[in-house]
Amino acid sequence: MGRYIFRRLLSLIPVLLGVSIIVFFLVRLIPGSALQMYLGTQVEATPEQMEELRRIFGEDRPVPVLYVEWLGRLLRGDLGYSLRTGREVLPDILQRLPLSIELTFYALFLSLIIGIPLGILSALKHDPVTDVSIRITGLLGLSLPQFWLASLMVIAFSGFRGWIPMGNYVGLFKAPLDNLRMLFFPSLAIGIGLAAVIMRYTRNSMLEVLQMDYIRTAQAKGLAKRIVIVRHALRNAILPVITVAGFNTGYLLGGAIVIEEVFALPGMGRLALYAIYQRDYSLIQGIVLVIATLFVLVNLVTDLIYAAVDPRIRLETREG
Amino acid sequence: MARLLKNPIALVGLAIIALYTLIVIISQFWLPFDPLQMDVAHILESPSFRTGHLFGTDEFGRDILSRIMKGTGISLLIAVLATAIGATIGTFMGVWAGFLGGAWDHWIMRLADVLFSFPSLLLAIFVMAILGENTYNVIIAISIVYIPQFARVSRGAVLAIKNNEFVRAAFSSGADRRFVLSRHLLPNIMMPIIVQSSLSLSVAILLESALSFLGLGVQPPHPSWGNMLSSARKVMMLAPWTAIYPGLAIMGLVLGFNLLGDGLRDILDPRLRNIK
Amino acid sequence: MKRLLAIGLALAMVAGIVPAVFAAGEEKVLTIGVDQEAIGLDPHIVTSFSSHRRVDLLYNKLVRHDENLKIVPDLAESWEIPDNQTYIFNLRKGVKFHDGTELTAQDVEFSLNRILDPKTASPGRSYISSIKSIEVLGPYKVKVTLSAPLASFLEGLASNNCAIVSKAAVEKYGNLQKVAVGTGAFMLKEWIPDNSMTLVKNPNYFEKGLPYLDKIIFRVIPEQASLLAGIKAGTLDMAQINDASTILLAKRDSNIVVMQKPGINVRTFGFNTTRKPFDDARVRQALSLAIDRNEIVTVAEFGMAQPTGPIPAGATQWALPLSKLPYYTPDYAKAKALLAEAGFPNGFTFKIVTANSFEGGLSVAQVIQNQLKKIGVNAELEVVEWGIYIDRWVKRDFDSMVELRGGSGEPDRFLYRTIHSTGGVNNFLFKDADVDRLLDKGRVLTTYAERKPVYDELQVVLAEKAPIIFLYCPFETHVLSKQVKGFKQVGYGSLYYLIQTQK
Repeated sequence: MGRYIFRRLLSLIPVLLGVSIIVFFLVRLIPGSALQMYLGTQVEATPEQMEELRRIFGEDRPVPVLYVEWLGRLLRGDLGYSLRTGREVLPDILQRLPLSIELTFYALFLSLIIGIPLGILSALKHDPVTDVSIRITGLLGLSLPQFWLASLMVIAFSGFRGWIPMGNYVGLFKAPLDNLRMLFFPSLAIGIGLAAVIMRYTRNSMLEVLQMDYIRTAQAKGLAKRIVIVRHALRNAILPVITVAGFNTGYLLGGAIVIEEVFALPGMGRLALYAIYQRDYSLIQGIVLVIATLFVLVNLVTDLIYAAVDPRIRLETREG
Repeated sequence: MARLLKNPIALVGLAIIALYTLIVIISQFWLPFDPLQMDVAHILESPSFRTGHLFGTDEFGRDILSRIMKGTGISLLIAVLATAIGATIGTFMGVWAGFLGGAWDHWIMRLADVLFSFPSLLLAIFVMAILGENTYNVIIAISIVYIPQFARVSRGAVLAIKNNEFVRAAFSSGADRRFVLSRHLLPNIMMPIIVQSSLSLSVAILLESALSFLGLGVQPPHPSWGNMLSSARKVMMLAPWTAIYPGLAIMGLVLGFNLLGDGLRDILDPRLRNIK
Repeated sequence: MKRLLAIGLALAMVAGIVPAVFAAGEEKVLTIGVDQEAIGLDPHIVTSFSSHRRVDLLYNKLVRHDENLKIVPDLAESWEIPDNQTYIFNLRKGVKFHDGTELTAQDVEFSLNRILDPKTASPGRSYISSIKSIEVLGPYKVKVTLSAPLASFLEGLASNNCAIVSKAAVEKYGNLQKVAVGTGAFMLKEWIPDNSMTLVKNPNYFEKGLPYLDKIIFRVIPEQASLLAGIKAGTLDMAQINDASTILLAKRDSNIVVMQKPGINVRTFGFNTTRKPFDDARVRQALSLAIDRNEIVTVAEFGMAQPTGPIPAGATQWALPLSKLPYYTPDYAKAKALLAEAGFPNGFTFKIVTANSFEGGLSVAQVIQNQLKKIGVNAELEVVEWGIYIDRWVKRDFDSMVELRGGSGEPDRFLYRTIHSTGGVNNFLFKDADVDRLLDKGRVLTTYAERKPVYDELQVVLAEKAPIIFLYCPFETHVLSKQVKGFKQVGYGSLYYLIQTQK
C-alpha cells in the first residue's frame, strides 16, 4: 500500500514536468507580453529603462534558458514572483485554494445526494415512463449551460441579502453559516450538471449489477429486495460512480472558471483566467502546476477509496 | 437503424436535432429581421407579437429571434467540425498507439495524460489566447480538447481487439495485418467512437458558448449563442429576455445531442441492451 | 462587605467590557467595489486607473483639484508666481508621513527630482518636464524655476503622478509599489491581490477632525453588474460604475443614490494616419461626417455621456460648441462626395480594433460599423482580448481603434501628448505642422485670454484634419448606498472626497 502510493506519487513527476514545459512555452506564444501589460498605454519609458525592464521581465533571454532558471528555483520550492503584482506566487495561489476546495465539495455533495437516489430509482423502476422521464430530467440537467444557470440565479435571487456572493467571500472557518449560504447557489449551479452525470453512472452500473448472477441468486434465496439493493447491488454499483465523481472533483479543484466569474468569487479558476489575460507568466505556471498536482492527487485518492470499497481490487495490478 | 427508431430517447434526440437543422436551413433563406441591423428606436424591447420581435430586441435594437436563428448555424458548424477534427486525429493517434504499442504508445498516452490534467475550458482558453479570437480558432481549440479523449477511447478499443483470441489467431497464422485490421478493427471501434462523438457534440456547444461568454469565442457582431449571452450579461437585469432565449436555445440543442448519445449507448452497449 | 466588593468587581468588569464592544460596533467601515485590481501603488510610477484611486487616499500633492476641477492648496498652503517661470510654494507645517516622520521641503525637492529622473519612467515627467531647477529655500519653502513658461504647470502638479513621497521611504524600499508611506488621510493596512485592500484612518492627518471613516476596504469585483448587486445586497457601500445599463438599473432602485457628472475621459475613434486610405484627410473627413455622435451616445451609453469635440465638453471655458466644429454634423451626401474625390466612389473595407471591455468600446465600434454602412464603407471589427489590444496599441498595428482616452480639463495637458508629432501617446502617427505650431504656442502663453484663441483655432483644425474622431465624454457615475453622505465627484473618478465622507 505505502509502496503503491509512493510509486503513484513518483509518477506525478513526469506529468508535472510535461505540464510545466508545455505551459511554459505556450504562455509565451500568446501575443502581447507581461512587460507591455505592465506599461499599459500611457507610459513612455527611456531606452535604458526599457533594457532594465526587459531584464526583469526576462525578455532578454531565450525561453529555454528561462525555463531552466525557473525549474532551478522550483526545485528550491520557489515558484517565483508575479510580474504584475510583484508578490510571491505561491501564497497568492494558496489563498485562493480554500474557496475552490469548498466550492468543489459542496457541489460534489449536492450532486451525490441528488444523483445517486435518482439513479437508483431510475434503474429499479421497470415501467418505461418513469425510467424515461427520470433519464430525460437527468439529461436536461446535463444540458443546462452552467453560466446561464448561474446568471439566471443572479437575476432571480440578487434581491436576497447574503445569498449571492458577488465577490464577498468569507472563509468557512471564519463564518461557517455565511460561507454555506454564499456558496449555495454557485455550488448548485455546478452541482446540477454533475448530479446528472452521477445519476447516469449510478443508473447504468446498477442495471449492470442487477443483471449479475449473484444478485439474482440472492434474490432467489429470498432476501428482501431492499437488503439486496443496499448490501450487494449498491455496493458494487457505486464503484464507477466513485471514479467519475473523483475525476470531476479533480477538474473542479482547478477552478470552476465561469461560475467564479459570474458570482465574482475569488477562486483558482478566475485567478488563472486573469493571469492569462495579464500575461502573468510565473503566476500561470504556478497555477497550472498546482491544478495538475491536485488533479493527479485526487485521482490517487479516488483509486484508494475504490480499493477500500472493493476488496477484490488489488492496487498493484491496476497500474499500466 | 431500426433499433434506433425503437428507442424513444434517441428518437426524441434526433427530432430535436432535426428541428435545429431545419432552422439552419430556413435561416439561410429567411429570417424575421436582419440579425445585424441595429434599430436605435427599438432598443431592449420586450417580446411582443405587435412589434414582431417575438423574443424581444437586444441592446442595439436587433431582433433576438433572428440572431438566435442565425447563431444556430454557427454553433452547429463549430460543434460538428470540432468533433469531426478531434475524432479523426484522436482516433488515428489512439489506433496508432494501440497497435504499435511500446515507446510510441507510451509517449502518446503520456501526452494525453498531460492534456487531460487541464480542465478542458482552461485548455481551450489557452489555445484561444494564443491563436486569437475568431470562429475558426474556436473549432481548433475545441478539437484540441477532444483529441486526447478520442485517443483514449480508440486505444482502449484497439487493445481489446488485439487481445481478442480470434485476432490473435489470425495474426499468428500469418494473415495480412492490414486485412485483419480493416476486417475487425473498424466495426468494433466505430461503436464507442459514435457514442463519444454524440456526447462530444453536446459538450462542444457548451464549450463554444462558454468561450464566447468569456469573450474569447465567436466575435460580434456575428451572433453566436455564447456571445449573445455574454452581451446580455450587461443588460440581463434590465431585459431578462436577452439572456433567457439564447440560453434556452443552447439547452435545447445540447439536450438533443445528449438524448441521442444516451439512446445510442443503450443500443450499442450490448450489456445494457437486453435489460428492459 | 465581601458581597459589595463582588458586585463592584462585576460592575467594573461589565463597565470595562461594554464600552469596548460598543466601540468596536461603532467602527465606520466603507466598502468600495472596484472592477480592477491596483497595479502597484507608487504614485510616480502607476498608470492604471485602479492604482490612482488608491493613491487619491494615500498621498497628497502640492496642489489639488476641487470638485469643480479648480486648483486649490493641498500640501502647499500657498504659492507665489513672481514671474511666469517661477513658482514659490509655502508648505503646511507639521504634516506627518504615515511612518511618523515630518514632511519637509527636502521631500518635495526629492519627489520632483524623482519624477523628472528618466530612470523612474514616471508618467508625470511630461507634465513638469519644463522644470529647470528646484531650490529649497527653507524647511517649508521651495522655489521651482521653469525653462519656459508652461501654462499647465500647476495642473500638472495636481496630478497623482506628481504626489509628494517620503524621501526616506524611497531610500528604504527602492520603490513604493507595494508599500505606502504618504501623507494621505488613509494608510495601507492589508493588501490581498485581486481580492481586497484595506486602508485605515491616518490619526495624524493634517486636516483636523478628518477623515470621518475609520476604514476603507477596496474589493475587486470585475463585473459591473456584480458591483451593483453588491450594493443592493449591502456588501458594498459604493462603486464607480461605467456600464450604462447597470446604471439604469441602479436608478430604478430607490435605496441607491446615483451621482453623475460629465467626466474628462474622451471616447475616441482614431486612425493610423500612415496607413491607406487614412493618410488622406478627405477619407477621414468623410468618416467623420458619417458618424452620428448622439446616436452612439444613445445606443452605446444609454444616453449617459456628452458628445464632445477635441477638448472635453465638460471643460466649458475651453471647449467650442460642437456646432462650430466642421465635419461634426452628419452629412452622408457630402461624405460620399469626399470619398469619391479620394478615389473610393464605392467605399472601402477597413478594420476597427476594439476590446470587449468598457475601455475597449466594443458597443461603440458596433454602432460605428452600422453607421458607416450608410456611406458604403465596410468596417470589420477586430475584437481582441485586452492584452492583445495593448499589444496592437503599442505596436501601432491597427487601421483604426476605438479608445477611451484619459483627458484633462487643461487643453495643453490633453492634446499635446495626444496629437503633437512628438507626443508620447500620439499612436495615430499624426504629423501636422499647423497642429504642432498651435500646440507649441498654447503651451508657452500664460493667460487665458491669450490662450483661448489659439485653442479655438486648434479645435477647428483638428476637426478638419480629423486624425481622431472625438466622440463623447462618458458621465462619471458613482453609485452609493443611502447611508453614505458627503462624497463629491471631481470629474476623473477621484476618491479624494472620501476624506469628507460619513457613513
